Amino acid sequence: MRVISYLEAVREAMTQEMEHDSRVFLIGEDVGQYGGAFQVSYGMLEHFGPERILDTPITELGLTGAATGAALIGMRPIAEIMFMDFTTLASEQLVNQAAKLRFMFGGQSTVPMVLRTPAGSGTGAAEHHSQSFENWFVNVPGLKVVMPTTPYDVKGLLVASIRDDNPVVFIEHKLLYKTKGEVPKELYEIPLGKADIKREGKDLTIIATGIMVQKSLAAAEELIEEGIDIEVVDPRTLRPLDTETIISSVKKTGKVLIVHEAVKTGGFGGELAGVIVESEAFGYLEAPIIRLAGKEVPIPYNRDLERASVPQVEDIISKAKDLATLKV
Amino acid sequence: MAVEMIMPKVDMDQETGTVVQWLKTNGELVTKGENILVIETEKISIDVEAPETGILDGISVSPGDVVPIGTVIAYILEEGEDLSSVLPPNEKPESKTEAPKTKQKTEVPITPIARRMAEAQNLDFREISPSQPGGKITKEDVEAALGQKKVVGERKDLTATPAARRVARLQNIDLSQVPGSGPGGRIQRSDVEIFTPTVRMDSDQTVRSDQRIPFIGMRRTIAERLTASYQAIPHVQFMTRIDMAAFDKFRKDLNTQALANGDQKISVTALLVKLVAQALTKNPLLNSELVNEEILLHSNINIGVAVALENGLIVPVVKNADQKDITEISTEVEDLVSRARSENLTGADVRGGTFTISNLGPFGIEHFNAIINPPEAAILAVGAKTQEVIVQEDGAITAKPIIRITLSIDHRIIDGAVAAHFISDLKTALEMPSL
Amino acid sequence: MKLAKTDAERYLLQMHQIRAFEEQAEKSYMAGKIHGTMHLSIGQEASAVGSISTLEPTDYIIGHHRGHGLTIAKGADLNLMMAEFYGKANGYCRGRGGSMHIADVKGGNLGANGVVGGGLPLAVGIGLGLKMQAENRVLLAFFGDGAASAGAFHESMILAVLYQIPTVFICENNQYAMSFSAEKWTTSKRIAAHAELYGMPGRSTNGNDLLEVKEEVQKAVDLAKGGGGPSLIVNDTYRWRGHSKSDRNRYRTNEEIEEWKKRDPILRFEKYCLENELMTEIEADEIKTRAYADIEASRQFAESSPDPKVETLEEGVYA
Repeated sequence: MRVISYLEAVREAMTQEMEHDSRVFLIGEDVGQYGGAFQVSYGMLEHFGPERILDTPITELGLTGAATGAALIGMRPIAEIMFMDFTTLASEQLVNQAAKLRFMFGGQSTVPMVLRTPAGSGTGAAEHHSQSFENWFVNVPGLKVVMPTTPYDVKGLLVASIRDDNPVVFIEHKLLYKTKGEVPKELYEIPLGKADIKREGKDLTIIATGIMVQKSLAAAEELIEEGIDIEVVDPRTLRPLDTETIISSVKKTGKVLIVHEAVKTGGFGGELAGVIVESEAFGYLEAPIIRLAGKEVPIPYNRDLERASVPQVEDIISKAKDLATLKV
Repeated sequence: MAVEMIMPKVDMDQETGTVVQWLKTNGELVTKGENILVIETEKISIDVEAPETGILDGISVSPGDVVPIGTVIAYILEEGEDLSSVLPPNEKPESKTEAPKTKQKTEVPITPIARRMAEAQNLDFREISPSQPGGKITKEDVEAALGQKKVVGERKDLTATPAARRVARLQNIDLSQVPGSGPGGRIQRSDVEIFTPTVRMDSDQTVRSDQRIPFIGMRRTIAERLTASYQAIPHVQFMTRIDMAAFDKFRKDLNTQALANGDQKISVTALLVKLVAQALTKNPLLNSELVNEEILLHSNINIGVAVALENGLIVPVVKNADQKDITEISTEVEDLVSRARSENLTGADVRGGTFTISNLGPFGIEHFNAIINPPEAAILAVGAKTQEVIVQEDGAITAKPIIRITLSIDHRIIDGAVAAHFISDLKTALEMPSL
Repeated sequence: MKLAKTDAERYLLQMHQIRAFEEQAEKSYMAGKIHGTMHLSIGQEASAVGSISTLEPTDYIIGHHRGHGLTIAKGADLNLMMAEFYGKANGYCRGRGGSMHIADVKGGNLGANGVVGGGLPLAVGIGLGLKMQAENRVLLAFFGDGAASAGAFHESMILAVLYQIPTVFICENNQYAMSFSAEKWTTSKRIAAHAELYGMPGRSTNGNDLLEVKEEVQKAVDLAKGGGGPSLIVNDTYRWRGHSKSDRNRYRTNEEIEEWKKRDPILRFEKYCLENELMTEIEADEIKTRAYADIEASRQFAESSPDPKVETLEEGVYA
């Protein structure tokens, strides 16, 4: 199968689905003429024209509301917010309107929109261009939250998100854009709400999101040399969460390490730990559930400091080893 | 047509409004929309309009009144309308039936032992249901009530993973026996899985389970008191053999007389009490108590008699044993022992002892060292009577009925010589009894 | 303009229905039968009826929290509307929306909104969608003077002009946000002046004159439907009641309220109809009576409607 990058996979998903469904359009800052801040939508304006690739001025709130309103009367817009940091500006329309319109109107309407946004640190962009807020949106009934980690997953999940009749927050880690993988040429869907076991193992379960999936897989490759066999579970969709896959993995290994880039306090890890402890997997735990996550800081500028702010492969190796050998 | 004016709702979450001031009064003409009342809610004070044009009347609330929303507070009447035609008919006041007088029991019937146990565990007597309905709460009832509260045998420092607990539960393994290999001795699942409990299997391989007795109540009380006594007091024991021939004859004669008089039969215990009391009168240090910086020589001689119970022991006291005659003592001992066995002793029965006698003779014990019953200074252990071969002073060999008595003393108060002196007096009293 | 008799009757009926509905809603609230809060539009009837009278049934409106009049003018079923106010299971929103979030999507009413200015970015999207669907429909996007200071308003103005959407933005300027007077912050003293800055036509009207409102909005609707893009109409009007049920009216005087009450839009239109012989006094009275009867019927309907079952709580979050 041919190999393309995560970024190309995003572009391909949008392009193919837009060819397939004329109701889909893209709206965002610099998505048209500029080709997208990360070049995700490069070439799409030429292909689809300005009626379907809409550039906007700096209007996060306005453009998010525009996507919501268009979805309200039957279009299927994709809104792009250039950095997840700026979803703060868009959140009134996303949280108060898009998430709630269906429920507060008693089911009279649907809001089939996707809000795509690049997130995460590692580019030296510091405090205002490096954040991860997926847990904020997981806390909002009415929204779905998707965080794909491979080129194969991102294409299938984006197509599914566009086709979903609910507002979906679709989070792409910036550092994943350049990663490559096998991606089928044709249009395909991966169902939302289904986790993926990226690596099977029997000694320890790592549940990771975003780029931490890649880092956990790298850690697993190292640890198998020492006889520690790690199972890496990638939830892919955070809301709704595939609790079944997670529970069976925990029952199998009895030990859980949760890894995410977002800050630990109030992060998604707490939700995962709660889900595990409230389930039948509780009776199979052999050790405390450990969360390895972002430190309690905004992302700093200096490279070493930035690196130290979020979990790295060596941190995962170290924590996984402690857990697997029951040092904790 | 009269229009009702109600206490309006003007706020979210508002349940009542407070009347601040009526701007118009009964009998005045008001116009629809005119402000006629000021009310206050938690958040704001607000003017209330007349709901209709007419005569305001029947105001039923005054400034300061807190009124639930929706309550009718006044009426707007048409010209010529009468208020009485509008007010709801008076309701007949409900005849108040007298609440039946329930006899309040100030005392919950409970045996003294049960009471002590319950009090020791801070259990409310009213929470214990007697096994005999309407009867007294017994110690079994207290134990039953306590058994439901406390789970015994759990190590406080027991840590085990959820997986270990689950496996232990499924396999009926007592976690407190499993050694833990996890951090800090935490019990892991594998520890439980490889654990072989040391349980004797019957030949037909049926698994038997241990019995658990809650370590509470009287047992615990005894344990605590005796441990304290044993640890704090330097005990020294003095043993001597007593030839009981004279004692037995003496008693037999007394009982012949008693039978003739229709008096209480005199038991060994009763006679022991009397004679020990005699010896104590001459040896006050044996009847003393160490209190702070003083040795208190008790004026009363109150002799406790240890009584064995099914699950413990209790020591009722014969007060002023030196001053009572043998019949009195006998009656009292009989009563105390029987009440002890039926758990009907009161606090007074077991308090105030100054010396204790523990007789394990009937159980065949020849000799034992008793632990002093605090706050007393000594205790006398009495052993079983056996026929023994005695070499007399003149070398002759005879058989005598012998018991061994062992005195334990608090060496802080009593020295060997003092103890020996008492033993000597006691021996004399027992071998040459007189009243 | 020449009004047809049937139109005049319909407009008068709607205005009376709006006022009767507001008065009944207020009564029910004060009797504790409706909870939460509500934002009454008594005094603003002409702005609602006049503006919406320009629409086809297939056109859309989107409103704000003071939207009962808009909902009625767009042809809502009064029973279902009152039932929603009472939080009943058979209300428009199954009891989940209430006064501030009422919508009649099939009837082209895309909802009231609890966030001031919340409907404006939505309006941009709806206008965008209507343009893409190319079915010659228009959207009236209502908002208040209070929203005109919000960021959402300015972004929406910019995007609306940028995409030339078929939307008429209608500002019901009742002079106050909650207590903050519009005069204080609009440096030009005219909200309509914003329109010119953003690049769309802007007009102020006497919001209590139904016919004037109708005429100006009609022009804007025609422009939009003809592909001429968005406009801003500012209807200057007044709300007789406070902002919400907890409003103490500290920010305005009784004299001011009384002054505006004299400009009652219903009386004004009634007078016009009588003077122009569009109806007789008796007919006018009958229309008023009919309106109050309709509302009374809706009250009874609502009060006898069932409450939603708690077991249904989690329904309708996701499609």
